[in-house]
Amino acid sequence: MKHIHIKHLMGSVLIVFFLAGCSKVLNETPQSTYTPVYFSTVNGVTGGITALYANLRNFYGNGYYLDACQVGTDESTYGQNADQNFKDLDLSGVGQVTGTSSRSDVLWNAIFPTINTASGVIQYGTAAGVSSSLIAEARFFRAFDYFMLVQTFGGVPLDMGSGILKFNTSAVRTSSRNTVPDVYTKAIFPDLDTAIANLPATGRVTGGVTKTLASLYLAKAYLTYGWWLENPNNIPTYPTCARTDPNGHNAQWYYQQAYNVATAAIQNPGPFGLMATFYDLNVATNDRNKEVLFYADHSLSTQYGGLTSTSYSSGGSPDNFAGWMEQFNYTGISSAKTAAWTSTANTVQRASVQDLGRPWTEICPPIGVFKNTFADKTNDSRYDATFTTVYRSNMAEAGLPQTTYYNANALPITEGSPVLTFLNNDTTAGLVDYSNSVYKSAIGAGVLPGRADYVIEPSAISRIKYPGNWKLGPYRTDNGTGLGNPNAGSTRPWNIAKFSELFFIAAEAAVKGAATTAVTGTYANDGTARGLINIIRARAGTWRWSHAGNTAYAVNNSAAMIAATPATVDINFILAERSREYFGEGYRWYDLVRTQTWGQYGTPYTICGTAWTDRTQVTVNRTIPVTYYIRPIPQGQLDAMLMSDSLKASYQNPGY
Amino acid sequence: MFMLISKFPKRVSPKILIKALFAFVLIFCFNTLLVAQKNVQIKGTVKDETGKPIPGASVRVKGTTSGVTCTDLGTFTISVPANQKLVVSATGYTAKEIVVAADAKTANVTLTQFVTELGSVVVIGYGTQRKEAVTGSVATISGDKLNEIPSANISQALQGRVAGVEISQTDSRPGSTMQIRIRGTRSLNASNDALVVLDGIPFPGSIGDIDPGEIKSIDILKDASATAIYGSRGANGVILVTTNKGRQGAKPHITYNGYYGIKNAIKYPMMNGADFWKLRQTANLYRTSPGADEDTTGKTNTDWQDLLYQTGYVTSNDLSVTGGTEKGSYQIGGSYYKDQAVIPGQYYTRYSLHSAIDQEIGKFVRIGFTTNNSYGITNGATLNAGTALSTTPISNPYNADGSLKRTVKMTMDENWVYTKQSLNALGNQFVDLTRAFNSYNNIYGELKVPGVPGLKYRANIGLNYRQSNYGGYTGYGFNSSSATTISSATISNSNTTNWAIENLLTYEKTIAGKHKISATALASSEQTAYWYSTINATGIQNDAFQFYNMGAVTDPNGQITVNPNNQSAWKRGLVSYMGRVMYSYNDRYMISAAVRSDAASVLAPGHQWHNYPAVSAGWNIAKESFMQNVKAIDNLKVRIGYGETSNQSVNPYQTLGTLTPVGYNFGTTNTTGYNVSLLPNPSLGWEYSKTWNYGVDFSILKNRLSGTIEYYSQKTNDVLQSVSLPATAGVGSVLQNIGNTQNKGFELALNGTILENKNGWTWDAGINVYSNHNKLLSLASGATQDVNNWWFVGHPIDAIYDYQKIGLWQTTDKDYQYLQTYEPGGNAGMIKVKYTGTYNSNGSPTRAIGAADRQILDMQPKFEGGFNTRVTYKGFDLSIVGAFKSGGTLISTLYGATGYYNMESGRRENVKIDYWTPTNTNAKYPNPAGIINSNNPKYGTTLGYFDASYLKIRTISLGYNFNPKWMKAAGADRMRVYITAQNPLVLFSPYHKESGQDPETNSYGTQNQAVTNYPYRMLVVGSNTPSTKNFIIGCNLTF
Repeated sequence: MKHIHIKHLMGSVLIVFFLAGCSKVLNETPQSTYTPVYFSTVNGVTGGITALYANLRNFYGNGYYLDACQVGTDESTYGQNADQNFKDLDLSGVGQVTGTSSRSDVLWNAIFPTINTASGVIQYGTAAGVSSSLIAEARFFRAFDYFMLVQTFGGVPLDMGSGILKFNTSAVRTSSRNTVPDVYTKAIFPDLDTAIANLPATGRVTGGVTKTLASLYLAKAYLTYGWWLENPNNIPTYPTCARTDPNGHNAQWYYQQAYNVATAAIQNPGPFGLMATFYDLNVATNDRNKEVLFYADHSLSTQYGGLTSTSYSSGGSPDNFAGWMEQFNYTGISSAKTAAWTSTANTVQRASVQDLGRPWTEICPPIGVFKNTFADKTNDSRYDATFTTVYRSNMAEAGLPQTTYYNANALPITEGSPVLTFLNNDTTAGLVDYSNSVYKSAIGAGVLPGRADYVIEPSAISRIKYPGNWKLGPYRTDNGTGLGNPNAGSTRPWNIAKFSELFFIAAEAAVKGAATTAVTGTYANDGTARGLINIIRARAGTWRWSHAGNTAYAVNNSAAMIAATPATVDINFILAERSREYFGEGYRWYDLVRTQTWGQYGTPYTICGTAWTDRTQVTVNRTIPVTYYIRPIPQGQLDAMLMSDSLKASYQNPGY
Repeated sequence: MFMLISKFPKRVSPKILIKALFAFVLIFCFNTLLVAQKNVQIKGTVKDETGKPIPGASVRVKGTTSGVTCTDLGTFTISVPANQKLVVSATGYTAKEIVVAADAKTANVTLTQFVTELGSVVVIGYGTQRKEAVTGSVATISGDKLNEIPSANISQALQGRVAGVEISQTDSRPGSTMQIRIRGTRSLNASNDALVVLDGIPFPGSIGDIDPGEIKSIDILKDASATAIYGSRGANGVILVTTNKGRQGAKPHITYNGYYGIKNAIKYPMMNGADFWKLRQTANLYRTSPGADEDTTGKTNTDWQDLLYQTGYVTSNDLSVTGGTEKGSYQIGGSYYKDQAVIPGQYYTRYSLHSAIDQEIGKFVRIGFTTNNSYGITNGATLNAGTALSTTPISNPYNADGSLKRTVKMTMDENWVYTKQSLNALGNQFVDLTRAFNSYNNIYGELKVPGVPGLKYRANIGLNYRQSNYGGYTGYGFNSSSATTISSATISNSNTTNWAIENLLTYEKTIAGKHKISATALASSEQTAYWYSTINATGIQNDAFQFYNMGAVTDPNGQITVNPNNQSAWKRGLVSYMGRVMYSYNDRYMISAAVRSDAASVLAPGHQWHNYPAVSAGWNIAKESFMQNVKAIDNLKVRIGYGETSNQSVNPYQTLGTLTPVGYNFGTTNTTGYNVSLLPNPSLGWEYSKTWNYGVDFSILKNRLSGTIEYYSQKTNDVLQSVSLPATAGVGSVLQNIGNTQNKGFELALNGTILENKNGWTWDAGINVYSNHNKLLSLASGATQDVNNWWFVGHPIDAIYDYQKIGLWQTTDKDYQYLQTYEPGGNAGMIKVKYTGTYNSNGSPTRAIGAADRQILDMQPKFEGGFNTRVTYKGFDLSIVGAFKSGGTLISTLYGATGYYNMESGRRENVKIDYWTPTNTNAKYPNPAGIINSNNPKYGTTLGYFDASYLKIRTISLGYNFNPKWMKAAGADRMRVYITAQNPLVLFSPYHKESGQDPETNSYGTQNQAVTNYPYRMLVVGSNTPSTKNFIIGCNLTF
């Protein structure tokens, strides 16, 4: 017996030795993660292209990137709840713009990985057997990304470590910047040319990039580069270089190219075009409409929709949370439970509907927006379809116990009644009673005789109470009968580029001296700046629905709008018109920088203070140095580079 | 049975394993059966060398379990079969055999005592060694000592007990284990955790799985000359855990240890209603809206912590049986442990089963196994104090009718009413349950090679399995401002299998009585496989389903998510060879030399192998003839050692690079893309450390005072570092071998007997003090700093990079006139930080304060340690265990900016502070009405840094041992009852002084805060489940 036991034991020992020497233990085969080798397959390359789209969410829809695109311009200042992220950019003595605080870091950090992935797709795509139209999508993205960078920071590196415009696989910790002409002529223009040649007219997928989109960006890049070459206001660039084009063209040539490319795209719109009304363009139920050429898509899906949670977001990418910034804290508005005003209730509660949403009160429109930019609020539908000017009660969704409450003048309000209205114009001085002595709005709003809603005149707009940006408001399909989930990221796509901008680009190029020719097709016009802009203005005069009135309103003021267009359209008129068309959507800083008018438009501005009751208009001056026309290189980039302090210092843009 | 064993290596099936284990248990139990013979009656006395009787000594017939225990006078009567041998044994004495002559009537036996501790045996890895002969740095702590403090797991029990072993709290929830750092940190991205070896086999599980009650001893290998035999896993020190075994030939003993204690929360220091109201008025940023749930007059004073916390409890019950047969021994034990937190619904329960069996078969073969199994249940891990700490005290949780509101609305936030009442009322609406089953098994066979005395072959097979199964469910509206927030359920499973096979050859020989040689050769391999999957579903409408039917999504807005980024599978393997020779001459001169060679799968092919030499030597000076006249010195030994170890604790597949999936919706079409997140590194190799260790062991005054002094110096090269690349590289990071780190330190451990049975009083005391100085010597490519990771050459790995607060801006400051230059938008009473720029001739600064002014603030303490003392008198014993630390930085995110509990804006509840106002300029905290950055006062992070020094009593225990006579009468051997106070006192701590809080950390750097600022590796105080003061009553019983 014992003998047999020992034999078995010895047997087991032999097996043990065999296993110990087994080198299989040292092999590695991942079973749950992808390695970069996957990029050499068709599926891998296609996945890389999907990531290019997904990465858009890392800056579009990010509230701090919107901050960097808006605050400091005539459209936006900081709101009452703002911290230094917003105050620093205001340039009004309440902070300073630095490499740590510019918030353009959001763009910088998000975009280089996208460029690298695009380069990988371009480099390996053909070998993997991917079609040229797919690779053209990657070319579009690379050009688009470089265009965003060069507008924001000046010249940026084209070599990320493995060579110019090569897919980087090396762990480089240094970087050197190319000049602005290099970025345009080596990266942006060639990529867009190839992209336009190979992209389809209709997107491969919903929201996929198209020939029209690439044309828009090529036209815009030509225009922007034309301004840069011309440099009318002597704005410095960096890295320092001569304002000469390596391709031997002058500014005028580029303006002409911009005009030609833009008008060609208008004449051949493919599946794209203008929506019938400005309201229809922006109402959430029409998201992904034919006017929107490009967007960072979102949905209710936490796995695919760029939504960190369906109920709560702490405000970071990939969530679409930029809409929270320009909304004031309407939830404090109080109404009374009885006509005698004995106790109060909040009759407008936080809800995930386009009018309301999460109120962060970080970005605020100065009074000039209401008095100048949107001076015409009756013919032009764009004011009505840009702001939430009427805050309506959602007492039913909020589950309030009563169906009738009492508001201004002790008048009853019910579900859907206006509780607060931002008036179109100031009324006779003293007519609005802001005392809150009887009817306590709790937000410093006033009372007009005979009206149940509280009112606020444009002159009383302050950093704490202002009309919210309706275009960016949330919309969800899962609210049911309740308030929904206003604290989550928005499930709407973030619109990046619209068909309408082709008209503005062509018009701006014409203003800058491009020879014009009549435009044919759906959007036929004489091809002048005025003719092009009037297409946009005519549409702006078309009403279907009154947002403020919450009622159908089929009125056509196009003729009045066209009549009001000045005989000679100049750059100022184009900038004003752009502000009406794209207010608060993140265009403004780039528009002012391109046209070198930031110093002119950015300061001063007028606004009331941060207390609810504050109605004292203050005119605030900004200091906008010419070096600030390009943003600082983010401190994180400088920190991560392994270079001498002097090299790092010369990597940073001057003035920061 | 042996057939079963021999099959294991072919296919390691847990099923077969479990069957085999049960077979073992059964068969060895039957072995204890006996056969009777014809007897003679023997009477006798057992005495020690001084002639004192030894009560309780065991007298047993050799080869049987039949025997008796001596009386208090050391006498015994036993009936023995003629010509049999008697084995006489007693704890602390060398056992003796006597032959009983056929006509004998009496037998008087004298036993010799073990030579105190020096003669005791130390586990050194792949073998044991007499303590006297140890040349490396090894600290031993016995299970008895360890269990003087009731503790949840080994890491808690070890805190403050061993010099050089820093144990830090990373979590204050039930069931959490602590972070163990032996002689500091050396690695930047690879693990700094010590290797745990359980009963000889590297332990792949969680340290919380091991029941501390089953531990016989813990031996900690600290220096590389000792750990090099563990090669690639030895760099961070090795903790050898030996569990209880039976004793060959011992009678069965049953031991019960149990305790029960209550836990009271140490509340976080938050403002009351009046203070908060004043703060809100001062900040003037948020006003209470009528209709909100906040009192518009500031009179309401709700203590949300009181509403949340309950009295928690902790209980442990351990029962075990040990015994032995002629050629075998056994031990079987089971335990139950439960820790109920002060937050309702948050608890940890553990059931464990442990068994050890050892059997000799014939002259040459010996086999055995140990098995440690446990089943742990953790619930409510996601609950914490955060909501209670952020809800304003002026908000009223009750409706007019006295019922609890669902939420309270504040100025900007609406918080779920987070109280014990609402948590308890959740029923099926909330579950957060982790159930972990694990089984750690070690089977061994030993063969004395016939014909070669001293040569032994041993095979160890470790077969381990761990499964952790998580299920969580939150019903509609739970912890959300909106009652309709969709329900969410998550399940996840992780499985770990691990096998290890070790073949050991050992040879021991003593030549001419003076030359002792011991040699060991090892060939081993091991592999760990892990797989994890998780699924999330929203919109399950039937609360009763919780997470048990993930397909039951009935809400049209619900969705099932299987995120590709959250699934995982990996395997890692290690192949090793090791040889070691130890030689000693006349017990005076000792030398030990070892070399190990390891290959790890996680490194790049071509870089997988590395060799680790180690050598150490010792000299027992006290044994030299010239020392024989120095009576005061009982023992004096000097040691020196050098060794190399390494670290391969990086995640598998890092050499290959990674693409991270990212989901995207093209309208309604969902698809997944990939981003390059990690670059491949085909040259990734070992990170290795070289350590020198110098030590002196001594004992003086008849062993009344003994101690160890050590100094070490360690350099770690080719540190595995995740290099974060600049954005312009297009890829986030790459793992590289770059950089060097260094640890130098000094350790002192002293144990003394101050009184030795003086009038019945005995007083023992021990103290350990150590300091470790960690320094980064170099980083990648000659860089002197890696700002993004907060690594700076010449500073410790853990250093804060932030502005340095030097006070608050006062209008009376000389430089106040330049405030707007220093701080555009700044104000009086704001935090004043150090400016490092230049000045203009008029004294004004040339620039504003900015990124260039950030400072490197070291976190490293000067020294730390622990102490323990024990006084006994008659049956009573009083022990105190304490810990201390001097210097270093404690990060409190409660006071800093990342927790959002000190925003000073009046938006949410605030930690109680003394803040600046024009009339209170001498305050520590800034002006609430001042400049704000990211919702907090500008430079708010600087408010969270405190001096980390402390001196605290961890436990005070008072015990009583019942008189052995009474126990005898009651049929028991020993019974002790005790009461213990845990966490009773903090004697010195600047943080405690200000906050009343425990000065220990409770979270990793990224946890329990609103926003992240600190690296994960840095431990901080966050809004975790609060620390508690515990009062425990317990009992130890043996019979």
